[in-house]
Amino acid sequence: MKFVDEFRDPELGRTLANEILLAVEPGRHYKIMEVCGGHTHSIYKYGIDDLLPANVELVHGPGCPVCVIPMGRVDDAIAMAHQPGVIFTCFGDMMRVPGSHGTLTDASAEGADIRMVYSPLDALRIARQNPDRAVVFFAIGFETTAPSTALTLKRAKAEGIENFFCFCNHVTIVPPLRALLESPDLRLDGFVGPGHVSTVVGARPLEFIPADYGKPVVVSGFEPVDILQSVLMILQQLTQGRCEVENQYKRVVPYEGNLAALKVMSEVFELRPHFEWRGLGFISHSGLKLSEAYADFDAELRYTIPNVRIADPKACQCGEVLKGVIKPFECKVFGTACTPERPIGTCMVSSEGACAAYYNYGRFAREREVV
Amino acid sequence: MSASCHPDVGHCITCSDEGIPMRVLRLDADRGLALCEDPAGAHSSVEIALIDSPGAGDMLLVHAGTALTRLEAASA
Repeated sequence: MKFVDEFRDPELGRTLANEILLAVEPGRHYKIMEVCGGHTHSIYKYGIDDLLPANVELVHGPGCPVCVIPMGRVDDAIAMAHQPGVIFTCFGDMMRVPGSHGTLTDASAEGADIRMVYSPLDALRIARQNPDRAVVFFAIGFETTAPSTALTLKRAKAEGIENFFCFCNHVTIVPPLRALLESPDLRLDGFVGPGHVSTVVGARPLEFIPADYGKPVVVSGFEPVDILQSVLMILQQLTQGRCEVENQYKRVVPYEGNLAALKVMSEVFELRPHFEWRGLGFISHSGLKLSEAYADFDAELRYTIPNVRIADPKACQCGEVLKGVIKPFECKVFGTACTPERPIGTCMVSSEGACAAYYNYGRFAREREVV
Repeated sequence: MSASCHPDVGHCITCSDEGIPMRVLRLDADRGLALCEDPAGAHSSVEIALIDSPGAGDMLLVHAGTALTRLEAASA
């Protein structure tokens, strides 16, 4: 398939792996964070880490939209889903994320009308088809999905739809990256930068990383050749003493982003003073809520919700995984009490979650290494 | 991986935070939508408000039912 096959070329991958080998300085350990869950997924699906020298370590970042939703917000979602007359809509993965008393799937089994959708447009269609019911959309995700929610709300407003509501949990990528860079327990050498988020926001918002923290960033595509080339570009920056934002994903990412998307987002959303992230705690100006102009669509204003902070289960180490402090297989419950079929933590739910990626593609190889 | 995983793209798209390359089959200019085909042959309506003048045959990068950009000629 065009746009995909050429970036999965094994020969090109091997060539890049050899160039990476030549680019590293012996005796130096490189720690590079891949920001996106999509990168994490590709790295373990294609065994990219196995192609890298032992002194080049990839650590996982906070860029999985499902993984960063805290338990308290899941409880809020379940409370809304149980309201009389509500049809609650969400992406499939969110149905399996545990709250403090079960998941949305459990709530569905208890009688709540919960429906999986692939886009907010699907949720709006359900609202049109059910004018006597209130349809709530559980909006999650970074700047990749936020424009979709914003456009759908604009459409709902233009059509005068009064039974469509949004439980907004959209987040932005820059504040958690800054929080990670301020974290004393993590020493990083560079970042494989977010690909599709940058399609929307552009590469410019990442310039603070080299400017303020002296770390190189390479905005990367998601295919194996993309990621290998991005790692090579980061290593070349380090070797050459450069430190800047480079764009490996030029075929998709314009440096200035998508201005139309940014405009509609600024119209529909505004920044929350703070928002809780699983594992990272409260981060200032990192979450979005509906703007005053769209307050009529705000599910949080329509329904009374618990709005309580819930601590993660003690056994769960999603926080350390999301910060790249530990590898998934170092978590006490990885692959035993916590599996994709019965997840305890969010990182094991989504295919973009680091734990699920390890479990699906890497667990058995790791076990062999241990033996 | 769940049954909803995409066979060609290889990613589970249930969280919808995956960029899916889709081909435009037909435009519905009145509603601002395009009927698109994903790599597995499944059809769906895609919001095209963020793309300049898409046309039939164009490849779009789609996130959560919204096209974010037009895919141009590949270059690594």
